[in-house]
Amino acid sequence: MFDFDVIVMGAGLAGMRAALAASQNGSKVAVITKVYPVRSHSNAAQGGINAALTDRGDNWEDHAFDTIKGSDYLADQDAVEVMAKEAGSEVINMEHMGAAFNRDDEGRLGVRAFGGQREARTFFVADFTGQALLHVLHEQVLSSGVQVFEEWFVTTLIMEEERCVGLVAMDMRTGELHVMRSKAVIIASGGVGRVFEPSTNALICTGDGIALAYRAGAGIMDMEMVQYHPTTLKNNGALMSEAARGEGAYLLNSEGERFMERYAPNMMELASRDVVSRSEQTEINEGRGIDGCVLLDARHLGEKLINERLLQIRQLGIDFAGKDMVTDPVPIRPGMHYIMGGIKTDIDGRTSVAGLYAAGETACVSVHGGNRLGANSLLDTLVFGRRSGEHASEWVKTQASASINDNHANVSLDEIQNLLDRDTGEMFGQIRLDLGQTMNNHLAVYRDQTGMEKAKSDLAGLKQRYSSVIVQDKNKIFNTNLIFTLELGFMLDCAETTIIGALERKESRGAHTRTDMPDRDDKNWLKHIVVTQVGGKSEVEYVPVNITKWQPQERKY
Amino acid sequence: MKYAFYPGCVSKGAAPELYGATIEVCNRLGIELDTKTMEGASCTGSGVLQEKNEKLGDTLNARTFAMGENSGLPIMTICSTCQGVMSQAKSRMTDLEYREAVNTSLSDENLEYKGQAEPRHLLWIIIEDIGIEKFKEKIVKPLTGLKIAPFYGCYIVRPSDALGFDENPDRKHSLEMIIEAVGAEVADFPGKSACCGFPILTINEKNSMKMVSNHTLSAKKEGAVAMVTPCPLCHLNLDGYQPTASKQVGQPIDLPILHLPQLIGLALGIDPKILKLNQHIVNTKSVVSALALTP
Amino acid sequence: MAATGKKILGNLQNMDVDLNIARFDPESDEKKPYRQEFNIEVDETSTVLDGLIKIREEVDGTLGLRCSCRSAICGSCAMRVNGQAVLACNTKISDLVSDENKSVNVEPIGNMKLIKDLIVEFDTHWQKIKAIEPWVKTDAPPPEAEYIASNESMMELIGVMGCIQCGACVSDCTVLAVDESFLGPAALAKAYRFLADPRDDANNQRLKDLNEPSGMWDCTRCMQCVEVCPKGVDPMGRIMKLRDFAMEAGYKNTTGARHAEVFSDIIKNNGVLNEFWLPVKTFGMFNIPEMLKLAPIGLKAMMRGKMPPIFYEKIPGSKNITKLFEKTKVL
Repeated sequence: MFDFDVIVMGAGLAGMRAALAASQNGSKVAVITKVYPVRSHSNAAQGGINAALTDRGDNWEDHAFDTIKGSDYLADQDAVEVMAKEAGSEVINMEHMGAAFNRDDEGRLGVRAFGGQREARTFFVADFTGQALLHVLHEQVLSSGVQVFEEWFVTTLIMEEERCVGLVAMDMRTGELHVMRSKAVIIASGGVGRVFEPSTNALICTGDGIALAYRAGAGIMDMEMVQYHPTTLKNNGALMSEAARGEGAYLLNSEGERFMERYAPNMMELASRDVVSRSEQTEINEGRGIDGCVLLDARHLGEKLINERLLQIRQLGIDFAGKDMVTDPVPIRPGMHYIMGGIKTDIDGRTSVAGLYAAGETACVSVHGGNRLGANSLLDTLVFGRRSGEHASEWVKTQASASINDNHANVSLDEIQNLLDRDTGEMFGQIRLDLGQTMNNHLAVYRDQTGMEKAKSDLAGLKQRYSSVIVQDKNKIFNTNLIFTLELGFMLDCAETTIIGALERKESRGAHTRTDMPDRDDKNWLKHIVVTQVGGKSEVEYVPVNITKWQPQERKY
Repeated sequence: MKYAFYPGCVSKGAAPELYGATIEVCNRLGIELDTKTMEGASCTGSGVLQEKNEKLGDTLNARTFAMGENSGLPIMTICSTCQGVMSQAKSRMTDLEYREAVNTSLSDENLEYKGQAEPRHLLWIIIEDIGIEKFKEKIVKPLTGLKIAPFYGCYIVRPSDALGFDENPDRKHSLEMIIEAVGAEVADFPGKSACCGFPILTINEKNSMKMVSNHTLSAKKEGAVAMVTPCPLCHLNLDGYQPTASKQVGQPIDLPILHLPQLIGLALGIDPKILKLNQHIVNTKSVVSALALTP
Repeated sequence: MAATGKKILGNLQNMDVDLNIARFDPESDEKKPYRQEFNIEVDETSTVLDGLIKIREEVDGTLGLRCSCRSAICGSCAMRVNGQAVLACNTKISDLVSDENKSVNVEPIGNMKLIKDLIVEFDTHWQKIKAIEPWVKTDAPPPEAEYIASNESMMELIGVMGCIQCGACVSDCTVLAVDESFLGPAALAKAYRFLADPRDDANNQRLKDLNEPSGMWDCTRCMQCVEVCPKGVDPMGRIMKLRDFAMEAGYKNTTGARHAEVFSDIIKNNGVLNEFWLPVKTFGMFNIPEMLKLAPIGLKAMMRGKMPPIFYEKIPGSKNITKLFEKTKVL
């Protein structure tokens, strides 16, 4: 049995930042990750990381307000203040660790404009900032004493008297299950992209941590807030960074019109993502699209700038859409990209379950509320990753280890054995595809009661089918067939929280837009929706939004 | 067709058999060679000089290109390494700013590289300028029944974007085309585009020899009676050091290594002695006598 | 897992292809690699990864492969397709097949121990990455704000930091194929990243370590890594720069450095190479063991008329070449 002070589940930006912070504070830390750390989906973030640096004449309060307005006032303002205040030091810290940020003529960090912000405060590394930061953080982990269990898959959290005291993980290389005892567990396992089809997300984004926390009785918040990114490629859902628009690219409809003029006359293509996605979807729905897409036009930016700052997405356009953005507009459309919701935490990463923390996309603090601004996610992962690591590391100093033993793996062993023993039934693939399509049909940019109820009944049917799913591969060594099937179970749980939240929220706010209830209703709905599993059933409760300085206003761009 | 012949360093030094065979074969194929223009041309740098100073390497090659341009003749190479290094230099100097900077160093000699010179290996010239069908017509002694293994040499197959493979896709399998055109059969083996080990010969002889023995034995396994290469540096390793490689691996190899013009020369009916096939380290008798037996 | 046939694309040309896949079941009795051919229907935009996922989801759930992002940024899906290392997710099947040939060969990447089907061990790879100490090392505490650095220096880093650790270069490296101990293109390129970083102070130590056997001088300049890298990192170019740095920093006592110096010297003075003096001067005339090794080879060469003249004639106009060397201050 393995024994640690702090175990982090997930080796993306949030996970590794948490692990480093805890380790630097003296804890014995392990990171469990189902892929090599540099394969984590943080590497897909392209555009940049926001920070208000006061020595530039920027102001953290402006950043905070932009974020809160961007969230459609659902973000908790105390948390946003923390993030905005600590942003500068996180960015500088990354630079000190070796991040190769773009520089201005004086050799200082350069900025670009980004969606939803009145001031350019997005620091960037060409158009692969996420990959750049992830690799730098990984370098630091390599030089630290943190033990990383690579290609280990977490099957369940271990609870003892309503406290999380460890987890069970499978070494994918051998198929063996291991009990790992820990005084605290920090979940940083990313988002739920694969619940939707298509999605910009990697195949590993299956909501594992959110589902595990849900099953352990932690509150899951704001799951109806699903971000559809405005510029994704039709072919494979790949992301075309907001950076393109940040550098000045236009969005055109089939008539060659910069249609954002009609929806967000001030910020145009750089309005908040939900606004842009809705505008695009409306254009497409009203017949001004081309093959279900609109056009991203960057030709006027010139080859030199594109090669310097947008090289990766230029290549993506060539590889996956057959269009070179230097000479052609690229067809794009809204695609599922990010979940603002997640495991409810406070500003130190604590969930409603003792000993259990969460950070990054997995968590909902909430700093993104109803809609996340571009380049705020990288910031979120670093600030709250660090805070969770620090807090957990301090807290465990006062905690004793639980007395658990290897028998705690039995539940998982049995679950897996049952799956492997089944010889007749359906494989995971079609169930997963049906789930993805149902969610994309009814819980995308525009929603309504009928659609969401259809999704709910579809989900019940999918769960039924899942109860008799089979695993074709009966081997132990690297059984990806088994892993995908277990992941599907997690995805179904995550979908449940999204549907519950969406049906519950009787207004439109942020990314949750109901055609049957199109207005924002601050009087009744300025609150979070938290779904918790109690005794096998899901219960809903409301949590008020924390307001410090900024009263909700009408949201126009 | 007339070409400014750029023989490279090795064919005038340690591989004179290549030079002689080239002259003979070009004669028979109607390829006229101007040997004067490139008399004052330097070594290409072979990738080694580029380690110390890439710009100096480019300058030396720009000088050679300018000399070629002045002669009005296209440049012909007979070495994969020369070809590759020149192609890479040319590729870098498509950047006008860079080319101008390089040209300033050449102004003392009144030389200017205008970006037009297009050095090409004899291997490509046969396929592209003569054409494989016309080439086949000149074959008098087809190497029927002989299995020959192709060994390209890294520099003539990588990096593919500097070598014009998009515009001339036949270059990718040019050596196989020649082998088949001379009537022989291709002994395909996995290492045909791999490294012969010559660049690390003095630095890590063990690894270098392992490469030689891997490729020669692998070719033999496919039934090859000889290997052909368009690169004299590869030849130096595969032929010159074959005994050393054989000793290291503890197995006899005895695979004759032919220069490209020697293979072609045999099929054109030229006497093996004139092609200097008796001047190899690894005895070529077996392939010559096999040829004598063919109908 | 976008199974290709289910994409909502419409009007695309469909085609039947055969994916011939190298398989290995580590839990079988025979424990031998075998091949399995799958015939599937794909469309003109399908990638090799699309095809593999389709097989895994609809035909044979036991097929093992690593993949994640599907957009060439995570590095999981490196594999050998038709003999060359690529990322399966950005390799289009339509580029590989024709009317005459509808078969695509898929194998795990090379130079790494096989675990199962297309999944290989990356352990050695990570060991080598760790061995070059891949973190920024500074002598002094960092400044309050950011280090001041030119955008040019950051752009240079960005080129090499584009590496996604996919292992394609490691797979097809011709030196790793004969010598497992070689650091390899990925680790060496990563080492260059720190040497080129103006904020890293450990240049001397790094160069010293990389100068050792199995380090920077063991690269055979075959350009495989340059050819197969899906992100344009140019590992070999970085290794050449490492050699340049090493020689500039005074690390001239390796065979490789001497070879480069002697080579340049010969060209500077004669215009062309002399293969007699090159090895002799590289090892040093008084290096008896090496001279003894060269002697029989030299003798054989001499007997075949392949010995270059000891007193070499300079080429006409070689003075101009000498001048060019002096202008660029190479030696």
